[in-house]
Amino acid sequence: MPEQRKTFHQDLDEIRDDIVRLGALVGEVIPRGTDVLLTNNMHGAQAIIEADDELDDLSLRIEERCYHVLALQQPMASDLRSIVTGLWLTGELERSGDLMVNVAKGTRRIYGVTLDPKLRGLIERMSEEASRLMKLALDAYAERNASLGVAIDDIDDALDTLHGDYIEAIFESHATNDIGLQASVQLALIGRYYERIGDHAVNIGQRVQYMVTGWLPEHTGAARLVARRSLEAEIGVEGSVSEAENGR
Amino acid sequence: MNSAIVSALISAVLAAALATFLARFIGNRAQRNHVYESAMRLGLDSATENDLSRFDDLLSAVERSVRDLRSESYESDEARFRLQAALDALSVAVMVFDGEGLVIDSNLASTPFLEARHGDALVGAAVNDLVRIANSGQEASTVIELFGPPRRTVIVSTLPLPDGGRPGAVAFVEDITERRQLEAIRTDLVANISHELKTPVGAIGLLAETLEGEHDQVVVERLASRIHTESMRIAQIIEDLIELSRIESIDGAGSGSVDLNEVAADAVERLRAAASQAGVGVELHASTSKTVIVGDHRQLLSAIGNLIDNAIKYSDPGTTVEVTVERSDAEVLVRVADHGIGIPTRDIDRIFERFYRVDQARSRKTGGTGLGLAIVRHAIANHDASIEVESRLGEGSVFLLRFQSVVDDTLDAQTISSLNERA
Repeated sequence: MPEQRKTFHQDLDEIRDDIVRLGALVGEVIPRGTDVLLTNNMHGAQAIIEADDELDDLSLRIEERCYHVLALQQPMASDLRSIVTGLWLTGELERSGDLMVNVAKGTRRIYGVTLDPKLRGLIERMSEEASRLMKLALDAYAERNASLGVAIDDIDDALDTLHGDYIEAIFESHATNDIGLQASVQLALIGRYYERIGDHAVNIGQRVQYMVTGWLPEHTGAARLVARRSLEAEIGVEGSVSEAENGR
Repeated sequence: MNSAIVSALISAVLAAALATFLARFIGNRAQRNHVYESAMRLGLDSATENDLSRFDDLLSAVERSVRDLRSESYESDEARFRLQAALDALSVAVMVFDGEGLVIDSNLASTPFLEARHGDALVGAAVNDLVRIANSGQEASTVIELFGPPRRTVIVSTLPLPDGGRPGAVAFVEDITERRQLEAIRTDLVANISHELKTPVGAIGLLAETLEGEHDQVVVERLASRIHTESMRIAQIIEDLIELSRIESIDGAGSGSVDLNEVAADAVERLRAAASQAGVGVELHASTSKTVIVGDHRQLLSAIGNLIDNAIKYSDPGTTVEVTVERSDAEVLVRVADHGIGIPTRDIDRIFERFYRVDQARSRKTGGTGLGLAIVRHAIANHDASIEVESRLGEGSVFLLRFQSVVDDTLDAQTISSLNERA
């Protein structure tokens, strides 16, 4: 296609479309990786590891395009926040994809281990939760829906609870000698990967809130620090306390 | 001298007059020609040129042709709308692209892929890639497997569609999930039938061969008992096949009235022994309201019995299978719930297929024929009832049957209304 001059907003739209596509790739690889894990599918595991290159390539391209727009258009206010959010989201999504690659590698490491139905059921459910969170996070981004973005943090609690149950089930399975120590550790790591994907979805939600409103949860902590500092300055104990704090 | 001046003067005046006249005449003619040419471009019939020497005639001819054009364009608009409506009725997504890869036309089914999100965004991206190939003059197609949920298989294909010399392309997106599933069912069925039938027959052959040269009484007894088990297995498969084809051949469920409370109790009673042998408890929660439906007792007993039988087989010892009969409005519900190993999500859609096995090894151990749920599905379909499955690996499965109830109070309502009419 011939390269043509694009308007600034065309650039922004294309960045958004590409991020939605990157998110779709991540949303697909979560159930795909779980299927590979539960069916002991070695070819599938290899395919997932290879398909991650596509994800890396796309995220690099998005990143470069963001830099390009920053350098050439010098966007302001909400446009600037959109670009910065784009950069953040690319990182979060790319990392989530990598976590599913880790699941695929874990699948290879536990090859031949028979998982009992309870563990399999919990893996299925963790995967469903993780991909649900990712989808919600991307919906929030595509619709610029700050309140949905914030809500993902609460929705993530279900995945954390599942992760706890899962670890418990691994202990049980190991105690009855159904699975060995190595497999137990691999399985625990796999559970952790799903749980981390949920955390990335929460981060995306918070960044969407920042994109729309300019506010981040970290602002509360930062404001608290400023308030504490000024209070300390007022009552004149800044010497010992704030030095100790700076030293930490 | 004088006359020469006069004649020169006169000729000058005459020339001027002629020039003015000529200029006006030519000017009019040029204007007329201009109008005429415009009218020709608009589609005026050229054969009528001779009649149009007068300006008025020309104008009314132009007016006529504009009117024709307007009605023609109205008709072509209508044809376009009709065509668009036909395209919108298609389940296949159709999109027409220009040489730059931008959508110029699309039907309703393609809406999900434009401005898409999640899995559809990947389909949309594939469409764009293939359109680029089609714009360079080649056909292209690709199959995309989406894990969703729900799991889908779509085929994307593009063709070059040059528009008056300029490049262009048309893209189609078709969901072939169902077609793929049917293909899988057909190929799996043949493989599974031959497997299920050949395994016990092969085993009997081998056991008999070993038996021939065997003199040790203990071994002979063991081999004979294995032969007995395998032949029982074939007998069971044949019995189930006959039951299945019997239920399949019946269309509908007859007009008898059946109390589902009784059927459930009957089924539980028959399986009591098998349950206690497996160390699984069976609890029946009968409904206190009327649970009569129109149907065939034998088919229903077979269906509910098969569900309970499965629940027992796939439960761990020490757990309980719950059979519940309930009335809810105009429906009677039968729920069979277990706390067994559950069914993997990706298999749930397929468990009602003949000889389909979630786990080959386990199924053989439990001695099922792989036909139980196929029998259930047909019996339920004969009753115009529905079946829902909810299952989670490691937590258990719930099979819910929904029947239309025919009970006294609806009959009463009918009687009352007919009485009212008479009154």
